Amino acid sequence: MMIYYYLACFIFALGLVGTLIKKDLISILLCIELMLTSVNLFFALFSKSLGSADAQLQVFFTIIIAAAEGAIGISMIMALFRKIKSAYPDDILIYSE
Amino acid sequence: MPVQYLANLSLYVPELVVVATMMGVLFLESTYRENEKNHHFVFFLTLFGLLVAAVSVVANFTVLPTEFFTHSLIHDSFGNLSKLLMIFGTMASVYLSYQSREIDQDLKSEFSAIALGVLVGGMLLSSAHNMLTLYLGVETLSVLSYALAAMRKNDEKSAEAGLKYVLYGGVTAGLMLFGISHIFGALGTIQFTEIKLALEKVDGAKLAILIPSFLLFFAGIGYKIACVPFHMWSPDVYEGSPTPVTAFFSLVPKVAGVAALVRVTFSFFTVNVLLNHTWIALLSTIAALTLTIGNVTAIGQRSVKRMLAFSSISHVGMIILGVLVTSDEGLRSVMFYLISYLFMTIVAFYIVALVSEQYGNDYFERFNGLASRYPLMAILLTMVMFSLSGVPPLSGFVAKFNIFAVVIEKRYYVLALFAALNSVVSLYYYLKIVRLMIFKEAESSEEIRGFGFVNQALISICSVPVVLLGIYWERVLMWAQGAKLFVP
Repeated sequence: MMIYYYLACFIFALGLVGTLIKKDLISILLCIELMLTSVNLFFALFSKSLGSADAQLQVFFTIIIAAAEGAIGISMIMALFRKIKSAYPDDILIYSE
Repeated sequence: MPVQYLANLSLYVPELVVVATMMGVLFLESTYRENEKNHHFVFFLTLFGLLVAAVSVVANFTVLPTEFFTHSLIHDSFGNLSKLLMIFGTMASVYLSYQSREIDQDLKSEFSAIALGVLVGGMLLSSAHNMLTLYLGVETLSVLSYALAAMRKNDEKSAEAGLKYVLYGGVTAGLMLFGISHIFGALGTIQFTEIKLALEKVDGAKLAILIPSFLLFFAGIGYKIACVPFHMWSPDVYEGSPTPVTAFFSLVPKVAGVAALVRVTFSFFTVNVLLNHTWIALLSTIAALTLTIGNVTAIGQRSVKRMLAFSSISHVGMIILGVLVTSDEGLRSVMFYLISYLFMTIVAFYIVALVSEQYGNDYFERFNGLASRYPLMAILLTMVMFSLSGVPPLSGFVAKFNIFAVVIEKRYYVLALFAALNSVVSLYYYLKIVRLMIFKEAESSEEIRGFGFVNQALISICSVPVVLLGIYWERVLMWAQGAKLFVP
């Protein structure tokens, strides 16, 4: 059982680090999806070991919302790409503190 | 069981009305032909639906506090009052969007539809009573807000604002879910009541898991109310989005987030001493940082909208101060703060929207000499700025005073000092715009189209509460005291 926990932790860390260091928008979006997916693993794992169905239910909602978020993220990258012809944050982010 | 479900449905009528209105708007929008420009019916339908929702919220005021839908939602007067505030905020921004020329004519119905969707998320969040509904509320609020921020899709800034919002939002949603999953793993339940019971008897090893989990869980809420470690998106999104959207963002998601924060704080962190101390330490640090960073960064801004964004960040800091005292008086002062903040923000954004629309940007210089050209508007904006910085006898002063009172009563002297110093700092940037309006020559003499009779009258009406709440505050405060939180 523990191995699954470590696997989920690893995937989550992969996603989190990826969002911080990746240099193009699509990869960042993929890393966010990775984070959400690893949380699904946590939920499934905990609800199996605790014998409660509450969290398994949450998995479905998380999947749906992750899909919605991915769709809206992709559409926004498309909108920006049409203007700037680039999907790299370094070219795009004009604001700075 | 099904019978009980149906009986409880009456408590859910406001949300259902809003959802029905949203669908109605979408259907009505699709009946317009391509060359038809004026979508008046959509606008009236939206306002009518919101009015019905407000009435049904008020009608539910008399129902005794209860949990419903198998403990997933809760009905109490605090949640109801926040719903009412959110509905009014939505009404104001929908009206603003209808007036606005920043939003394309054919996207106005979309604004109404999406704003209604966000409102549903906010209502869900303010009455959430288990982790699943809380998460769904946060996400309904977020996912639709992303689309709102990118409303002007042909404008680089707007698209970029939307994208930033999506990326920040995605990461914080991930962190929050990580927190929720580990809270579930440690306690074995997602219901707030059961979590509270379980928290009473947790021991060392579980606390070691729970404390980091709750910190991560806070990321999701903190991101929605834009407090300090999670505030970076807010100024960019505020500046990039069209002004009605900005007004909407500074009203609805904030109220919803604060409502969720209050509920979470009162449900979880009153039972276990160690958790309570950790949470209050966290909130104090965040409140102090939020106040300071919000105010100090606001000073150097060139755009008024961006300045208002930073100022709203610092207002959130004040509100968190009211939350962290975890007393009934604190709750009352938070509610009063939200009410007065609502009206001040509506007036400020209304005037800024009309001015910036005329000139195409919202830099401070655009307000030069407004006092000689539109005296009434200049006076009202001056009044609101004074109120936002907390000068008596306006509502902002009473709101801040109440927060100070509860904070000092709990002997958090350092925090009170922080808040007081920050109020002084905030005077500088709020009065900058007043100085420009009164003492500078106007840049041009062209009339500002937005300042017609109707708009001036509406702005005046909206600013009446700013004064009245400052003078007759006792009555409102007693009324806000009725906003009790129900913690079963």
